[in-house]
Amino acid sequence: MGKFWSLLFLLVPVLGVASFVVAPWYKFWLPLDISEHGHTIDHLFYFILWLTGVVFVITECVLFWFLWRYDSKGRAHPVQYTHGSHSLEIVWTIVPSAVLLFIAIYQMNAWADSKIHNPGAGPDGIIGTADDMLPTLEVTGRQFEWRLRYPGLKAQGKLGDADDIFVVNDLHIPVNEEILIELKSADVLHSFFLPNMRVKQDAVPGMKIPVWFRATQTGTYDLVCAELCGWGHYKMKGRLTVESRDDFNHWLEQKYREQTATKDSQPTEKGDSE
Amino acid sequence: MSSTTADSHAHEHAPAAGRAQIGKFLSTYVFSRDHKIIGIQFLFSTLIWFLIGGLLALGIRWQLAWPWAEMPVIGKMLFSAEGGQISPEFYTVLFTMHATVMIFFVIIPILAGAFGNFLIPLMIGAEDMAFPTLNMLSYWFMWPAFFAMGSSFFVAGGAAKSGWTSYPPLSLTDLNGQTLWLIGLTFVGVSSMMGSINYMTTIIQMRAPGMTMFRLPMTIWAMFITAILQAFALPVLTAAGFMQLLDRLLGTGFFIPPGWTAGNAAMASGGGQPLLWQHLFWFYSHPAVYIMILPAMGMVSDIISCFARKPLFGYKPMVYSIAGIAGLGFIVWGHHMFISGMNPALGMTFMVSTMMIALPSAIKTFNWLGTVWGGNIRFTTAMLFALSFVSMFIIGGLSGIFMAATPVDIFIHDTYFIVAHFHYVLFSGTAMGVFGAIYFWYPKMFGRLMNEKWGKVHFFFTFIFLNGTFFTMHILGAVGFPRRLADPYHYQTFAHLQSLNIFMTWCAIGMVSVQSIFALNFILSLFLGPKAGRNPWHANGLEWQAPSPPGHGNFDFQPVVYRGPYEYGSPEVDTDYYPQTQPVPEKELIPAPAAH
Amino acid sequence: MKMIVSRGLLVLPCLALLLLPLGCGRTEPPQFHLNMIAIADKQLPRDQQQEIANILEALFGTPDEPFVLKSETGLDIDKLRVAAGPVRSDQFGKETGLYRRHCVHCHGTTGDGLGPTAMILNPYPRDYRQGKFKFKSTERAAKPTQYDLESIVRQGVPGTAMPSFDLRPDAEIKALVEYVKYLSMRGETESRLINAMSELSEGEKLQLARSTLIDEILKPVAENWTTAGQSIIRPEEKPDVPLAESVAKGRELFYSTTANCAKCHGISALGDGQTNDYDDWNKTIVELTQGMDGDLATLATGTDVSSEDRASIQKRVAEIRSALRTDALPVRNAIPRNLRLGVYRGGRSPLDLYRRFYAGINGVPMPGVGPATPGAQGTLKPDEIWNLVDYVQSLPYEAFSEPPRQPRSTLKEAKF
Repeated sequence: MGKFWSLLFLLVPVLGVASFVVAPWYKFWLPLDISEHGHTIDHLFYFILWLTGVVFVITECVLFWFLWRYDSKGRAHPVQYTHGSHSLEIVWTIVPSAVLLFIAIYQMNAWADSKIHNPGAGPDGIIGTADDMLPTLEVTGRQFEWRLRYPGLKAQGKLGDADDIFVVNDLHIPVNEEILIELKSADVLHSFFLPNMRVKQDAVPGMKIPVWFRATQTGTYDLVCAELCGWGHYKMKGRLTVESRDDFNHWLEQKYREQTATKDSQPTEKGDSE
Repeated sequence: MSSTTADSHAHEHAPAAGRAQIGKFLSTYVFSRDHKIIGIQFLFSTLIWFLIGGLLALGIRWQLAWPWAEMPVIGKMLFSAEGGQISPEFYTVLFTMHATVMIFFVIIPILAGAFGNFLIPLMIGAEDMAFPTLNMLSYWFMWPAFFAMGSSFFVAGGAAKSGWTSYPPLSLTDLNGQTLWLIGLTFVGVSSMMGSINYMTTIIQMRAPGMTMFRLPMTIWAMFITAILQAFALPVLTAAGFMQLLDRLLGTGFFIPPGWTAGNAAMASGGGQPLLWQHLFWFYSHPAVYIMILPAMGMVSDIISCFARKPLFGYKPMVYSIAGIAGLGFIVWGHHMFISGMNPALGMTFMVSTMMIALPSAIKTFNWLGTVWGGNIRFTTAMLFALSFVSMFIIGGLSGIFMAATPVDIFIHDTYFIVAHFHYVLFSGTAMGVFGAIYFWYPKMFGRLMNEKWGKVHFFFTFIFLNGTFFTMHILGAVGFPRRLADPYHYQTFAHLQSLNIFMTWCAIGMVSVQSIFALNFILSLFLGPKAGRNPWHANGLEWQAPSPPGHGNFDFQPVVYRGPYEYGSPEVDTDYYPQTQPVPEKELIPAPAAH
Repeated sequence: MKMIVSRGLLVLPCLALLLLPLGCGRTEPPQFHLNMIAIADKQLPRDQQQEIANILEALFGTPDEPFVLKSETGLDIDKLRVAAGPVRSDQFGKETGLYRRHCVHCHGTTGDGLGPTAMILNPYPRDYRQGKFKFKSTERAAKPTQYDLESIVRQGVPGTAMPSFDLRPDAEIKALVEYVKYLSMRGETESRLINAMSELSEGEKLQLARSTLIDEILKPVAENWTTAGQSIIRPEEKPDVPLAESVAKGRELFYSTTANCAKCHGISALGDGQTNDYDDWNKTIVELTQGMDGDLATLATGTDVSSEDRASIQKRVAEIRSALRTDALPVRNAIPRNLRLGVYRGGRSPLDLYRRFYAGINGVPMPGVGPATPGAQGTLKPDEIWNLVDYVQSLPYEAFSEPPRQPRSTLKEAKF
């Protein structure tokens, strides 16, 4: 029976690797990346995947081999009477710690670019000076919707005026431009997750958190809430539309017109219109 | 006491005798102060909650495989008005209570409460715990918690719905279920606290002659360090729980920012910070992750060494790495909060400490492999579960590195990748270790062996189904599939993942079903299992020198320890084991162990 | 060995038992349930309740198998079939059972706003059965137009739990709106049947002739829906006045005795004026409870009540109690809107606000300031309504409206 159980343990690395090989064929894999910085995150993911994958396969195969080789059935040899090996312990302390430290240092730039180098601080890196970038829009998470607020067309890109444009769940951004979002929450915690943009940031009531990215491809994508925000968490869905600057301006103007409508736009025939 | 009872006996014979018998029964089996009875009480209670937690998990899996589809039979009983559909807020109850039950009512009490209680005095050669009454109270303080959590399902609005992490402000808007949840949590905390003080004192003070600290089995080292972790981390959670209770009931604002409203409620007083809770909660709950794995690591070390018939490879490095995990465990809590809005620079320091905590885990894994190397492996059920612990812990440990890498965490945070990670550590790791420990120490607990053949059937199917269920979750995580969504398929990114989820649900159904084999084996072996004798596995530990089951006071002789617990295959003796109590000049002090 | 085999035989049936509830057995399909509140109010006996259920099933079918009289109701059975029934999707990905997938948790199978989630929501989900809808483009008492309901489903209702379904395909939204109308008509028909039943004298039977039922009960209900388009409010052109001037005028009106907005919305416009009123849905419950309390008082104090009366009162109280337990949520006051949040449930465009002011909000205490009937004199003139629109739109931007923020935000700290 020992051989049978050893083979069962061999199945772990075999099927584990196989499932990771097969999954991308069925698109069970990282979604399309449409951001400028996303490839560094994906690269890091693959780097760790390879590294851990190799360690995984080696250790699991060693485990299998030891089980296969040292099965007590049909083996009358005395056991290796040893209490350990000092030099081995040193080797397997130093090598993993070197690798882990390398990963830790290797990824610092990617983290800093995603979360620390805030374009809202401008080239001088200080917030509150004249060269600061103005936010493209303000996103407020609310049970269970994303409330978006774009600066109006009249006042020069400043938020908080009476001409701000309000949109719910329909996030439009221009392509190939740095986008700076002020993320807020109106009630509980939410998380602003753009899978295709490799962006995720919790929205915390009482805080205004900057989020920045640059899209490189037009199209419509998902905006997901990734932090439990109540019973309706699952339906807190938004849509991200990346479009050219012209289309974006056009859309913004149209939203502004709708928002300031004083005339009826619904069909005028009597009774129900279809 | 004796004089009054004797008097009353003299006056009224029959009823008083009956009463005395009832009293004796109660003090022996219910309000017992014997550590073994308390351990077994913990074991039974946690196994029942294990079943409940598993069924809650099946509810989650049902909804994820077939969202809003009516549940056959059970659905009609529970949600008749809506045609047997799970409602979204009941879904949030499901995953909240699944996690709560599994963590606070199963894993922590089964490790510390059941095995800690049962094994510590036996393995160190003590008669009982240092504080038997405190020990009894630590069990009975679980009952208010059981009652609070259990009854919360039936109060208006249902049980807690804010996730097991109970992040405010969401948890402050929840109904009474959340208050009961917090009360339950406090009782669990008090119970654990009593336990850990007891374990520390017992291990320090009550070791048998010759049992030095470095002759302790790994199980005891793990229990000892776990107890220290509990004692230092738990007060923080208890305090945080009280602060949340005050926020909920008395209108304080520890976790409420200024000017905050939710729904249509009036503006709250505010002045606090939601992130404060996350810091306090994880300051306990990250060490708690180790509380949930270290004892299993210890027990697995004992089982592997015993069935490889070989000394444990690197005993001291193993001890140091447990201590290292515990020490580092206190400075990594921020890795749960990389994208929470915490200062990103702080994230970097937590990232480095988190990377470093992978190291002791790696050392332990290599040492287990070293233990198996060159051994004489007996594939008993307990050994299979222990080996699967090692095999699965490799997966759980390696997948943690993805989350520790902060930029990757941006993408996989709160997705099924993390769900896969902690299920590999907690179910495939700890729970498999616990199964192994049950098969291993069952003969000591009840004096009879469990059925090996059905044990192996149980192992085989559990192993297959758990990998089917949990390995697939890594792949879901790679797509960014978020956790805690009642219906993820209306997102275009995740719509194609339903087929994978259906596969996982079938595996989960299989996994829960095969536990019935375990349940039957466990119950039937109580009465039908072959008698075990003192040392059925030919193991070295002190507990195997005591009778099975041990009587009150544990040992029928005074154990004296001459060596460490892992002297298997020693050239000094002819047998392949060398009990800790056996003096160097070969003299049999104890009756020969019965053959198994 | 023998023991092992016998134990194995024991394991198998137990395993099968555990799998049984998962593998087989179907849930019974959900049923519409009767409006027990109205029935308890009118004290209808069991047989009449059954009769109503039968008539309703004949006219409208069941949740799984809807049925409508097309020419009388104007409803489209094909759309209803997409919305009704259990959640399914065919091999082309076309989904049916939309109502049960998206709506039933809150609005309930019968459209009574009593889904399992309803209890934890504030405000409660809409009960369609009364046929009253709050946010629409038509006169106060009129039904909403198709366009209005579609907009609500598309945009959601900000400030409530009603989400936006804008990202769903057009056909699905149309199907859901059709189903909402269907549930609403069914509910109103039910109310009329209950009223008709209660007006019968002892021993009299309801005229069950098809023509009577359809002409006297169903058609008047359906007619309101088909004619909704005729009562759309189309305001006069917004006058071109400087904004500041218009806002000042609107402010005056807000606090004036004619419009009297401040009475409910508060001097501060925070919605903290009169807050002890009820909307129509809660009012029904309040009145029923008060009636029951009166009965209880009679029982407690009245010595001259005959034992027969006493028994009938007790029966009535018991029925109301059981109806309140199963068919009612805890009563809540209608809270006037906080106008400083910038949240507009019925849409934020000036036109939307104009219509809110003009017609008021159906079903809640908010009165209309426009003429009650076309041509009549309203409380305010159209120009004045526009002033009020401008003023209310300016409220969220007053300094007073900004909630206090924590002074140190991460934005400021993140200097590197």
